[in-house]
Amino acid sequence: MSWGHSSFPRAILHVDGDSFFASCEIAKNPRLRGKPVITGKERGIVSACTYDLKAKGVMVGMKLHEVRKIAPDAIVLPSDYESYSLFSERMYEIVRRYTPTVDEYSIDECFADLTGMRRVNKMNYRDMAHAIKRELDTELGITFSVGLSATKVLAKVGSKWKKPNGFTVIPLNEASTYLKKLPVGKLWGIGPNTAAYLTKFGIHTAFDFAQKDESWVRERVSKPFYEVWKELGGEVVYELNTEKKTEYQSISKTKTFTPPSREETFVFSQLSKNVENACIKARRWNLAAPEVFFFLKTQDFQYRGFEIKLPHPSAVPQDILGEVRKYFPQIFRKGELYRATGITLLKLQSADLMQLDLFGAVAESQGLKLVFDSIDSISERYGKHAIFLGSSFQAVRFGAHLGDRGDTPARTRQLFKGETVRRRLAIPMLGEVN
Amino acid sequence: MYERYKEKIVNFYYKHKRMPGYAEIMSLTGFRSKNAVFKLIEKLCEEGVVQKDARGHLSPLNISRGARLLGLIEAGFPSAAEEELLDVMDFDEYLTPNKESSYILKVKGDSMIDAGIHPGDMVIVERKQSYKPGQIVIACIDSEYTMKYLRKQDDKPARAGDSGRSGGYFLEPANAKYKPIYPSENFRVEAVVTAVVRKY
Repeated sequence: MSWGHSSFPRAILHVDGDSFFASCEIAKNPRLRGKPVITGKERGIVSACTYDLKAKGVMVGMKLHEVRKIAPDAIVLPSDYESYSLFSERMYEIVRRYTPTVDEYSIDECFADLTGMRRVNKMNYRDMAHAIKRELDTELGITFSVGLSATKVLAKVGSKWKKPNGFTVIPLNEASTYLKKLPVGKLWGIGPNTAAYLTKFGIHTAFDFAQKDESWVRERVSKPFYEVWKELGGEVVYELNTEKKTEYQSISKTKTFTPPSREETFVFSQLSKNVENACIKARRWNLAAPEVFFFLKTQDFQYRGFEIKLPHPSAVPQDILGEVRKYFPQIFRKGELYRATGITLLKLQSADLMQLDLFGAVAESQGLKLVFDSIDSISERYGKHAIFLGSSFQAVRFGAHLGDRGDTPARTRQLFKGETVRRRLAIPMLGEVN
Repeated sequence: MYERYKEKIVNFYYKHKRMPGYAEIMSLTGFRSKNAVFKLIEKLCEEGVVQKDARGHLSPLNISRGARLLGLIEAGFPSAAEEELLDVMDFDEYLTPNKESSYILKVKGDSMIDAGIHPGDMVIVERKQSYKPGQIVIACIDSEYTMKYLRKQDDKPARAGDSGRSGGYFLEPANAKYKPIYPSENFRVEAVVTAVVRKY
């Protein structure tokens, strides 16, 4: 394959937040600067960690008690998804200053198509990428690694090239220099199995793979890898998805409890509380779910779950629990230790679009809905779970965690006059100042 | 909104006898990016209101000023109220014009009380590329945030022990009870205070 003479037939940017969740925490609290920080306390596993910890061997997904052995000094914080989402939105908005074509790939990364924006922004692609990085770093107070190249796969090679705080521009006609130094398994979308398979054909680097001719690639690897091959050559296969992710297509409530439990009624009460919480949120946004998914998670991280179609869309916990109760015995195994339960309300729709059914179940549920509207007003006044279902009793009574795992993010405690635990200003808070 | 922007551009043309440039359109519309201007122009071109030459300059094509429709009414005169309401902003825009770089903090001490900033107040701050003397800033000293006036010693020589990093800058409280801080080592200005909010 030859990469031609053109440097940017397309100019695709990849922006990646450096250990994003941990960085957000540090940006919010200056006392954490230069310290080893981990988020994910409430899950019992590492959600994100700073680079000094990664160097010591701490990995995302690692159990916290294992981390304690490698890095006893690490500061472990509960996840504050509200703040992370605020930082994330800002990241997309800053990139949008330079191009309308932004692919909100995930909470901590995005792609942008800068092609054709040189005259409008009055700068070349490299300067544009650099300006974006500078504005991100300055305004968010956290560092990003940025890659600029001709396709998504190559841009991602760039953003991973140097991390953290990297800035790597790979003009297409210089791509071979980078790809020669990159093991093929480090490419986006190529896992260890595929890498091992490719090694059998003498393919060790990304360059080796890119050098194979098209007929060979089409014959030997499946379509996704053929696409990666094309992208390596500078042909855009993965276009940017600029559709804004619509919010609240689903609502999910999961809680891990410590210590883990074998007791059926306790585990069910945890699930019942999650269902109640999910319904509270759905009612707040006037939504109803036609389908739900619930799961149980065992102590050794095995998931077993069930997807259920409800008789009619609902945000009343009795409706959902009634169905869940039928299938719960099928997935609950006696003697097994459980550590978490979860419920997801799927395909949420407006609660106003209720269709009546033949047997009056909807009408009955509507009656219950009125009851829950009153409960919501009572909770508004006296706090969440002022009134709750009997089936949630054990979970509400004893809380999710014995010990310090139940920590909540600081923001829910540092409230301004006029804010409530449930609704706060949509601006990240940097704590207190003298 | 588009109709309003179009009208502003048309009005500009009638007033100045020429089409506005990108920067001028930005100030006319209040857009903060050239990209938004670009999109607006694309739409105007599409509609045949203006045209772009090979170098991107605008020229008028079908740029007549029509009578404005101020909503349909049964009888009587058009009400100006609807039009007036277009030129207002909400508190979000007023307090955080640069949303992406804005943050809030809660005031703990009384060191800025003479500047009217009380304990318990919310301050809105912005992270910037650079900061100027005279601004109330949030600085980070020894891993703590502090809010003070940013000052520069121009007449006085640098004090002994000042590191090059502080560059003659120091922090001054707005309360006689506290002394100015002459930071040496770990001194970094983090943000500038743009508003104080207090609810009663």
